Amino acid sequence: MKNLLSKDKWKFAFHTVSHPADGFYEIRHRDRGSVVVALILVILFSVAWSVNRISAGFIVNDIDPREVDSLSELITVLLFFLLLCVSNWSITCLMDGKGRFKDIVIAIGYSTLPATICIIIGTVLSRFVSEDEAAFYYMVCGVGIAYTLFVMLVGIMTVHNFTLGKTLITLFLTIVALLLIVFIVLLIVDLINQVYSFLYSIYQELLFRA
Amino acid sequence: MRKTTRLKRMLGVLALLVIVGFPKAAAQAEVEVPYDTYNYNYWEDIVKTPAAYTPEGSVGGIDVGTTAFKEPRDFCISEEGEIYVADTGNDRIVVLDGHMTKVNRIIDTFTVNGDEDRFSAPYGVCISENGELFVADSNNARVVVLTPQGEYKRVVKEPKSEILEDDFAFIPLKVTVDYANRIYVISKGAFEGILVFEADGTFSGYFGTIDVKISVWEKFWRRFASKEERSNTQLYIPTEFTGIDVDSEGFIYASNIDSEGKQAVRRLNPQGNDVVQKGENANVGGDIRTGTYGDYSGPSEIVDVVYRNKGMYSILDRKRGRIFTYDKEGNLLYIFGGIGLQDGTFQTPVAIEQNAEEILVLDAGRNVIMKFRETNYGNLINDAVGLRFDGDEKQAIEKWKEVLRLDENNELANNGIGKAYLTAGDNEKAMHYFELGMNKEYYSIAYKRYRNKILADNLGWILTGVIVLIFAGIVINKIKNKKKGINREEGLL
Repeated sequence: MKNLLSKDKWKFAFHTVSHPADGFYEIRHRDRGSVVVALILVILFSVAWSVNRISAGFIVNDIDPREVDSLSELITVLLFFLLLCVSNWSITCLMDGKGRFKDIVIAIGYSTLPATICIIIGTVLSRFVSEDEAAFYYMVCGVGIAYTLFVMLVGIMTVHNFTLGKTLITLFLTIVALLLIVFIVLLIVDLINQVYSFLYSIYQELLFRA
Repeated sequence: MRKTTRLKRMLGVLALLVIVGFPKAAAQAEVEVPYDTYNYNYWEDIVKTPAAYTPEGSVGGIDVGTTAFKEPRDFCISEEGEIYVADTGNDRIVVLDGHMTKVNRIIDTFTVNGDEDRFSAPYGVCISENGELFVADSNNARVVVLTPQGEYKRVVKEPKSEILEDDFAFIPLKVTVDYANRIYVISKGAFEGILVFEADGTFSGYFGTIDVKISVWEKFWRRFASKEERSNTQLYIPTEFTGIDVDSEGFIYASNIDSEGKQAVRRLNPQGNDVVQKGENANVGGDIRTGTYGDYSGPSEIVDVVYRNKGMYSILDRKRGRIFTYDKEGNLLYIFGGIGLQDGTFQTPVAIEQNAEEILVLDAGRNVIMKFRETNYGNLINDAVGLRFDGDEKQAIEKWKEVLRLDENNELANNGIGKAYLTAGDNEKAMHYFELGMNKEYYSIAYKRYRNKILADNLGWILTGVIVLIFAGIVINKIKNKKKGINREEGLL
């Protein structure tokens, strides 16, 4: 655990973001990455997201701050992260991806770092802009998210040792798999609900007849 | 022992509840009204507000000493304060005194060239600025002009013009007259707009046509539809106007039933162009949030409009019996009224007028005139809007602050105070209030001024700081280079 959280691991996260191809190669082949750091980065991303929604200057913030529930947002982000990792893993397994589940978690987790930083910078910035300067805020946030997507792409490409074309195809299939998983989960939940209500109505019937 | 302390504690809590809870309950009872009073905030959520108007009872035909009204459709108030009710079902015009306590006279017959003539379903009524009484005599297809005493002056007959269709039937429903004595008539089934007549009764054309809106999606489907299908779908005809009024500048306010609930009132300039301003929510169509199921759902159906004063106007919704009041900028000021059987609610509201501080609503289902008196809250908003209309922002600020005391989150009040502070030059306070009022545009103005002032005040310090930093950077660089140079020399040696 201590090893997973060492200073070196943290430093390497930043190195990975600034040198994605190189960094993710080292993560895959020399175990320079850390799952714990990746998870913390995802949590930080979620926190930054909530902070942005709650306290970005009201010029750029159309959200009623009373409606923001940071805990449920954290759970949503973590669940989505898990879903993304699982669906990517299940697709890349079938498509000769070299990455382990651990590598996928690290690749996606580390890639949130630029978005987190830019959203926080943007949030601070948004408190000092007027309406016609709001474009700066959108630019900062946009750059952060675009860079995150880029790092994620490179990360998945590198850890699986894919070509760009293959990565894009797997990403598309990942989304399909994600929707499939959601669909199946909903189906199961509905089924369980129906079984439960069936049993409950039997129970009630027995209660009334008795 | 333990039990007694527990009991004491319970009693204490009870006492506290009584002390805290009771005045609150009393305060609520003061404004008990049989309808919901609410408004829409920046997020278009419903926010409960205090009541702006409370019901003050109703007046029917029997109350004023005549027979009951029968489906009265319109009324108007003369400058002397007399109230003219178009008692449509009884074919007569009933004139009440200003306090609505007695009948001054009843106009049901008049003499034209020695012959007695009568109304047939007089639907609309209006008093012009120079005191002529205009009656939209719907079944007789004419607008009769009388003196206030009921003596015949002239008649506006069915218009003859090539712009009218051959089968055009003139059924005047509502009538109003502007300062130049031009007559504006809403005729049943005249989708092309309001019919305008010159003072002498000649027809001069249509006015304020409502454009038909067809969405891209509808256009797309029509391309694929066969001729038969196309004729089966509903026709895209503009909606009819439902009520008209004229303001002090001669602009015509006309209401219509908008199926989208976005714009139910138009302010028409003399050319017939719509110049109404839409406020924060870009909506002058009554309710913004409406349900999707049941009789009570769907957009508001606005049946009448009344221009009040200082740019304010109220519109009447027959679907949910609500009265929406807007200011000149199209901000929704307050909402009150409802459908029901209780006193103060309507069955079939058809017309609205303002009589001094009172708002009067004519109910054709209950055959009465309903009275509403403004509360302290309503009065404050009316005054503040009026002061702002006159440009007296400083006076308005006091009124808005009073409004905030009654309704803490009132965005209009916050914006009003903010604007006053902005004109007074107090940018920081203006920013605070604009943020509470969710007004991005004005907040930006205030913030820019505030920021410029801070920059201007501290420019000396900032520039000095920058110069010092640059200088320090150069010095540090030089020292580093020197060290490097020494090292290199040492290395060489």
